[in-house]
Amino acid sequence: MFGNQADDDDEQRRRFSRRALLVGFGQTAAFGALATKLFQLQVLEATRYAPLADENRINVQLVAPVRGRILDRYGEVLAGNDEGYRAVLIPSLAGNVAHVLERFSKIVPISIEERERFIARARRQQPNLPLIIATDLDFEQIASVNLMAPQLPGVQIEMSAARKYLAGDTVGHVVGHVGSVDRVGIDDDPVLRLPGLKIGRSGVERGMDERLRGRSGTIKHEVDARGRIVRTLSQTEPVRGDDVALTIDTQLQRACVARLSRERRASAVAIDVTTGDVVMMVSVPTHDPGALVKGVTMRAWEKLREQGNDPMVNRAIRGLYPPGSTFKMVTALAALEAGVINLTTKITCEGQTELASQIFRCWKRTGHGACDVHRAMRESCDCFFYEAAHKVGIEAIAAMGHRLGFGQTYDTGLAHQKAGVMPNPAWKRGRFNKSWLGGETLLAGIGQGYVLTTPLQLAVMTARIATGRVIIPQLVRPEAGMVPASFGMLGLKPQLIDAIRRGMTAVVNEDGGTGGNARLDDGQPLVAGKTGTSQVSRASADRNGVELSWAQRDHALFVAYVPANKPRYAISVVVEHGGGGGATAGPVMKDLITEVLARDPAVRPAFPDMSGSAPVHRARQG
Amino acid sequence: MNRAFGSFSVPQTIGAKLMRIHWPVAALLCLLAGIGVSALYSVAGGSYSPWAERHALRFIITLGLVIAIALTPLRVWLWLAVPAYGLALGLLVLVPLVGTEALGAKRWLSLGGVTFQPAELMKVALVLMLARYYQWLGARRVSRPHWVLLPLLLIAAPVVLTLKQPDLGTAVLFAVVGLSLMFLAGISILYFIGGGVLCVLLAPLIWQRLHDYQRRRIEIFLDPEKDPLGAGYHITQSKIALGSGGASGKGFLQGTQSQLNFLPEKHTDFIFTTFAEEWGFAGAIGLLGLYVVLFLLVLSMAFSCRSQFARLIIAGAGLILFLYAFINVAMVSGLVPVVGVPLPLVSYGGTSMTTIMIALGVAMCAFVNRSQGVRRG
Repeated sequence: MFGNQADDDDEQRRRFSRRALLVGFGQTAAFGALATKLFQLQVLEATRYAPLADENRINVQLVAPVRGRILDRYGEVLAGNDEGYRAVLIPSLAGNVAHVLERFSKIVPISIEERERFIARARRQQPNLPLIIATDLDFEQIASVNLMAPQLPGVQIEMSAARKYLAGDTVGHVVGHVGSVDRVGIDDDPVLRLPGLKIGRSGVERGMDERLRGRSGTIKHEVDARGRIVRTLSQTEPVRGDDVALTIDTQLQRACVARLSRERRASAVAIDVTTGDVVMMVSVPTHDPGALVKGVTMRAWEKLREQGNDPMVNRAIRGLYPPGSTFKMVTALAALEAGVINLTTKITCEGQTELASQIFRCWKRTGHGACDVHRAMRESCDCFFYEAAHKVGIEAIAAMGHRLGFGQTYDTGLAHQKAGVMPNPAWKRGRFNKSWLGGETLLAGIGQGYVLTTPLQLAVMTARIATGRVIIPQLVRPEAGMVPASFGMLGLKPQLIDAIRRGMTAVVNEDGGTGGNARLDDGQPLVAGKTGTSQVSRASADRNGVELSWAQRDHALFVAYVPANKPRYAISVVVEHGGGGGATAGPVMKDLITEVLARDPAVRPAFPDMSGSAPVHRARQG
Repeated sequence: MNRAFGSFSVPQTIGAKLMRIHWPVAALLCLLAGIGVSALYSVAGGSYSPWAERHALRFIITLGLVIAIALTPLRVWLWLAVPAYGLALGLLVLVPLVGTEALGAKRWLSLGGVTFQPAELMKVALVLMLARYYQWLGARRVSRPHWVLLPLLLIAAPVVLTLKQPDLGTAVLFAVVGLSLMFLAGISILYFIGGGVLCVLLAPLIWQRLHDYQRRRIEIFLDPEKDPLGAGYHITQSKIALGSGGASGKGFLQGTQSQLNFLPEKHTDFIFTTFAEEWGFAGAIGLLGLYVVLFLLVLSMAFSCRSQFARLIIAGAGLILFLYAFINVAMVSGLVPVVGVPLPLVSYGGTSMTTIMIALGVAMCAFVNRSQGVRRG
């Protein structure tokens, strides 16, 4: 019995041992399976998981760059930044916002009410978004905040920059203004998504926005599972936007604004023909872009609009005017080059021309009598140019118009330019689906009808005639290191273009010339120019001595270059509804020329020769 | 005269008993607890509070408990087996009636201000009960059908009760520990084969009878990545932590997933993930290796015991330890669903630590008294 029991016990023990070995083996195998799974996760698939962990923990925050400045040609700051230091609080880093604010207010006083407002806002908003708690910190305060940093978790000092327009309304239209971002496309710079970032909305601010904007910096924060910032991992500083230097001479601009402001609506452009630099571009009424940046109240905006003179519009590039008689150089050159007239061809003006039983009147009802091109230019005889236009045809006129700079915009860094209209039959077909009428050629020949130009284009045309070269205007000085390029020749025969220049000189300086009002006081240097009076309504066409209302009056235009023998500046002026070109625009032109010459840096060499060696032209930025 | 125990050179003095404690196992426990302390230090962002210091303290106290239990006479546990099982079962029945609910499951009982989980008591009690049963049954009757049915009922009762809480992890633990002990006790292998076949046959039938939502729940349960933000969130983040740790790890205190709270339960159920993120595959394998050594050492303790009671107690304690560790690591690495089982000795938490150490204490007691025979009955 006892032995049996012992045998049983032994058998039981052996069986236990056998099975325990199996169990031990099973346990080891089970852990082998775990090891295999871990090997798969940690070694074989490790590359898949590492980025996931980083994605989890890293939050990238953008830092806005400081916008580049806009300078005038002498380095005067037109648009700068009101740079200051401000303190922001990141609630998720602060822990107890109330305590941090209390400590902070010992350095920079913040009233209790304001602190409570901050605390309330910190509770409402995303905990990672910085909250601006103080602005315009002085250096002592910055130093104190930095010194106290360990007691002020979540408080950071950062630069703030508000756009500031130092030249105010003097260059308002040219410089333009910045505003909030409307929409952000997928491919756009991600910095545009930053709340409060301003981008250029008009003028050079808009046209040169990418250069001015700079590149955003980033701050990489480590965040926890709830997305709260734990610490800063790395930081790349934003890259400041480039400064952009304009070709504008602010002092000249200021003087011209003052002069033009005597008119209700007017604009003028002056181009340095040796370089294409636009040294002056004025549009009145003007506006101060600073007011727009600060935010315009609805009432102020309505007031601006109710004035009716569209102070927001830069007329120099967006105002579209029939060029009137200032276009006659184009018609003359087209006809002369085509050979349908020559320099001695005389056309008799009887005060009107008839084409297909339609009457086309000369401005001088009594007629000019027999005119050659010189006299026709000087006295602005319409009949001569009706005839010349009729002979050469609209296509040649349009082609010459394009050669001299009409119907196109220029890459000047200015946004919102208008191209105007340099019509031909194809254009009319596309625009109105109607065929071209012969009479329309005559109207185009004196710069009426469909022809629409901007003051900038008029100045370009003048500069091209003055130099015989394809002057391209530039408003932004090229970046250093750009390869200089020269303006190509227009390819007009020198004796033809010389005749036109003589005609323009006669307009201002000879008896009977329509532009005598633009002659300078001491008669030197000689001014060459052309008047223009462009009709805006039928009423002005049928003038009969009755005083017309302002809006019905003709636009007064004047284009000129100076000095007549060695051209340096080409200038255009448009006075909206100013009446006669010679009577109204002439004196304005005279004053502008006086201002331009007064500020002409004498040290710079004038354009060497009209047809001689190629002028050196600074490269335009691309 | 002792009725239950034979009188083979029973150690009587405390000194002699201390000499017979399996000190390598105790040393291994200390090593694992030390790893736990360092992992908890790291997961707190390099701080002894709130977890590491309390974990260390808890371990020292419960290690004292292990040694104290090891010094008790083995017959105490023989006597306690049936009442302990009865008490544990009674409390488990009470839980759904008066228990406290936490995290959607009723597991806790509050007795005079102290809350505890009857399931924890049951872990030790079940081992004691089965060991006591087979000690009583003897070798000859183990495979008779009604003597097989009785332990099956003893196991089934706590399994069903914990499943109702619901606490799948513990239910599985009861089932596996119980069945393993039956296997070690020597019942015929045919029962296991038959049971396996029956399961395979019944599974599709049960699947057919389930509602759609129940099936979906089981599917997500088996493949949590089907629901990455819901049930799968834990396991997805855990896998990211393990995977980004790579072969050599991110370094001590450098685990971003756990430091930044992406890991849920980073200091309790997911402590292994934290450790493996910082120490990489190399560290994880090392830790798993330590556990394997520990199970095998514990199991080896049973070989030198004279009584089936002692052997089964030791094997049961080892199985509890093994199952905790296995389910935990399998869970955090995505092999099995998240069931809320801690990593023994490393995870923070007093309940599991106490349970495991008491089980190990009883096993140690059995080992100290290994040369004692135990009378059947």
